[in-house]
Amino acid sequence: MAVSTIYSTQALNSTHFLTSSPSSSTKQVFFYRRNTNRRFNTIITCAAQQTVVIGLAADSGCGKSTFMRRLTSVFGGAAEPPKGGNPDSNTLISDMTTVICLDDYHSLDRTGRKEKGVTALDPRANDFDLMYEQVKALKSGIAVEKPIYNHVTGLLDAPELIQPPKILVIEGLHPMFDERVRDLLDFSIYLDISNEVKFAWKIQRDMAERGHSLESIKASIEARKPDFDAFIDPQKQYADAVIEVLPTQLIPDDNEGKVLRVRLIMKEGVKYFSPVYLFDEGSTISWIPCGRKLTCSYPGIKFNYQPDSYFDNEVSVVEMDGQFDRLDELIYVESHLSNLSTKFYGEVTQQMLKHADFPGSNNGTGLFQTIVGLKIRDLYEQLIANKSTAPSEAAKA
Amino acid sequence: MATIATSLNIVPQRAIITSKTQPARLTCPVRLNNPWNLASRATNRMVNFRPVKATPEGVISDKVEKSIKDAEETCAGDPVSGECVAAWDEVEELSAAASHARDKKKADGSDPLEEYCKDNPETNECRTYDN
Repeated sequence: MAVSTIYSTQALNSTHFLTSSPSSSTKQVFFYRRNTNRRFNTIITCAAQQTVVIGLAADSGCGKSTFMRRLTSVFGGAAEPPKGGNPDSNTLISDMTTVICLDDYHSLDRTGRKEKGVTALDPRANDFDLMYEQVKALKSGIAVEKPIYNHVTGLLDAPELIQPPKILVIEGLHPMFDERVRDLLDFSIYLDISNEVKFAWKIQRDMAERGHSLESIKASIEARKPDFDAFIDPQKQYADAVIEVLPTQLIPDDNEGKVLRVRLIMKEGVKYFSPVYLFDEGSTISWIPCGRKLTCSYPGIKFNYQPDSYFDNEVSVVEMDGQFDRLDELIYVESHLSNLSTKFYGEVTQQMLKHADFPGSNNGTGLFQTIVGLKIRDLYEQLIANKSTAPSEAAKA
Repeated sequence: MATIATSLNIVPQRAIITSKTQPARLTCPVRLNNPWNLASRATNRMVNFRPVKATPEGVISDKVEKSIKDAEETCAGDPVSGECVAAWDEVEELSAAASHARDKKKADGSDPLEEYCKDNPETNECRTYDN
C-alpha cells in the first residue's frame, strides 16, 4: 500500500513541499526544500509511535498476572483496567504499557465450547486471524475495537477501543502458537511450571473455594493435561526466555513446594537481548553465596550458570535454588550477577522490595521475573533508539 | 481496514444487559451530608444502603461449586470424552476468575468510601487536611 501524498506549503515563504513516506508502517513525514541551487535536502522526520510487542505464555494459575504487575512496575506506574468501560474487561492500561489478555480472542464462548467438547486450550476455540489482524494494527499505531471475553459469565461482550501503546503485552495461552503472530513479537516469554509445583500452587489457590477438594483439583489438572501438552507446551521452543519452575533439590524428599528451583533459560543471538550471566560469560559456574561473608538460614541459596542447548537452540541458563530471607542476601546476589540492564546499583533489589507482598518475592520466580522486566525495558529503549536513528541514516546515504 | 471489520462481524456478539452507565464498584448510594441543604435532609432519610445485586465473589463461588458438580457428573459417564475435558476446563477457568476476584477485593480493601475517594479525591468526603 504505497500512498505518497505531496503537499505544497506557501506559508513558509519558500517553496517547500512535504511528502509522506511511501512505507506506511513508519508514517514519517519528510520536508523537502525545492531549491535547486542547494545540492542537499533538509529532511526532518517525525516517526509515529513505535509499538513494541511482547508475548507472554503460560497456563492459567501460573503467575502471569504477578509477572504483569512486576513488568508494568519496572516501567513505572500501576496498570489498571480501562476506566469507565466494561468492569469485567481483562485489559490493563498504564502510561507506557497495555496488557491484552488473549482470552478475548476466543471464537467460542463457554457454552459453545461445551457443546463442541473443546477446551479453551484448543486452537479451534480461538480466532487467530482476528488476533493477528489486531496485533498488527496496534503495532502499526492503529487503534482497534477488541472483543472482550467475560470470564465470569463466559460470554463474549461488546468490544472495547484499545489505543496503540508504547509497549503492548499480549498474555495468554497462545501468543506464540500462530506463526504470523509470532513474527510480530519483539520478545517472547514462556512460564514453564512443572507438574508438582503447578499442583501445589493450584491447591493454594483453590482450597479456599467451597466445592473444591483435592480430588477435584487433581481431576481438573489431569483432564486439561492432554490439550496442554499438545497445544501450549510446544510454544516454549519459540520463546526468547523461558522461566522454568521446578521443585527444590536442596531439601531431600520435599513435597511442600515452598522452596523452589527456578531456571531462567535465555536464547542466545536474540536482537537487543543480552543474557544475564554469573562471573564469566559462557562458562559453567556453580555458586553458593552463603559462607563467610553472608550467612543464610536453611536451606540456603545455590546458583548455577551454564551454556546449554534447548530445543536445538543455543541458550544460557541461570538457575537459583532456595529462598531469600533478608535484604542483604538479595543485594549480595545482585552485585554478583552481570548484564542485568539495571540503571543503578540495587535496582533489582529495589523492585523486589517494592512488591514484597507478591508471590515469589523471596525466591527465584520473583527475581527472574524482575530481571526479565528490566531486560524488556532495555530492549524497548534500544529498539526506540534504533528506529529513530535509522531513518536519518537512510536519508544521509 | 475492511478486513478487520469483517473479522469482527464473524465473532458472535452477545451483550449482557447490565447497567453499564452505573459505576460497578460503588455498591451503595453515597449519602452527602450537607446540613445547610434542607432538601438533602429529607431525601437522605430513606436512602437504603443495601447493595443492588449479589457481591461478585458470591456469584463466582456459586458458579465454581456448580461447575464442579457438573464436571463430576459429566465425567462419571465417560472420563475421556471431550465433554468431560471441557467441563473440567470450565472449572479451572471459573476458579481462576474467583481467585482474581478475591485478589482484587483484597487489593481494593473492600471499603466503598476508599474506592469512591480513589476516583474523586477533591470531594468533601475525601479531602485530607495535613496541617
